[in-house]
Amino acid sequence: MNFNRIAHNLNYVSSVVLFLLGLYAVAVKPNLVKKIMGLNIMETSVFLFMVSIGMVGSGNAPVVTEGVKPATMVNPIPQALILTGIVVAVSTTAVALSLCIKIHEHYGTLNASEILGTGGPF
Amino acid sequence: MRKAIVVLALVGIGVMLIYAVGEMPPMGDSGNPDKVHIAPRYLEHGEEEAGASNVITAVILNYRGYDTMGEVAVIFCALCAVVAILNREKPGLSRTSMDVSGVKASVVVRTTIRFLVPVIIFFAVYIILHGESTPGGGFQGGAIIGASIILFTLAFGLPESTRKLPLRFRIPLESFAVIAFLAAGFTGIVFGVHFLTYLMPGLSEYAAETIRHIMMMVIEIGIGFAGGIIFTSIMFAMIREDQCELQPDSP
Repeated sequence: MNFNRIAHNLNYVSSVVLFLLGLYAVAVKPNLVKKIMGLNIMETSVFLFMVSIGMVGSGNAPVVTEGVKPATMVNPIPQALILTGIVVAVSTTAVALSLCIKIHEHYGTLNASEILGTGGPF
Repeated sequence: MRKAIVVLALVGIGVMLIYAVGEMPPMGDSGNPDKVHIAPRYLEHGEEEAGASNVITAVILNYRGYDTMGEVAVIFCALCAVVAILNREKPGLSRTSMDVSGVKASVVVRTTIRFLVPVIIFFAVYIILHGESTPGGGFQGGAIIGASIILFTLAFGLPESTRKLPLRFRIPLESFAVIAFLAAGFTGIVFGVHFLTYLMPGLSEYAAETIRHIMMMVIEIGIGFAGGIIFTSIMFAMIREDQCELQPDSP
């Protein structure tokens, strides 16, 4: 493994850690709201990853101004894509939470094992 | 046992991902693959081709306009789904716990929020209107508008909020972004160019650029206000506390 490169790409490492944390919450936590929070953490890790890809060392914001060369600006495409991604994440979270409200009204619990009637860790 | 298997699998995935990070190009290098393909063209010609000095706004509204139109449709569909699942808020039935407790938020909180909310909305309007030339834009401003209204609702309760923002005022605004986008798109077709083309042919350069500026501004304002109102409506629809519904009205 290229440890120098890993130490330099610290943002990518953080996004890997966040992704695994979110995946752990989705896979293990029985509470549906915690699963949704895990999903959001995973989404955040992807946003961090993609925005970090577009970064330029000591770069400028991609706004055309006097005296700023285009070569020093950060890549605008990941930021535009992530803006779309954030809105989609908010939309899916809203729908998931409203389904949770209905599930809680119907079953009286948000515990996935109790709803499935298994009593297992899921 | 199952938890141990999950942790083991996650460690495996993590090691593979970290190994892949080690193979990736160094972060922040201006020669990375993502910066040599199409980004230089956007950065150099974005202002003249797309009509916005903020290149992100140029990408969102012009180069990837279809994408953004789909995104606006997605957030509108999310509102439709939430309303279909939960129904609209019912004044008198769905209440925050604050309304039911009968104890008003303290004077400090109410005064601060009464002072802050107009300032926050003013800032959001600035962000929406300056999205073309400074960092900002419709979605960001919409999120700030939604946050300010959520702040107001947390302190003053749902009845006060729905009196300030009644349903008949919110329903037309919710679909404003989609309508603004479709209107701008079909204007291009009427003028004989492609869908979502902002530069109209057969006009002088000055007139064409002015019309493009106005159209992008209308779309930004539509996205901003519709986004904020959609967030607000989703939050209003979600406020319901079953235990609280059984209790009598607050004194």
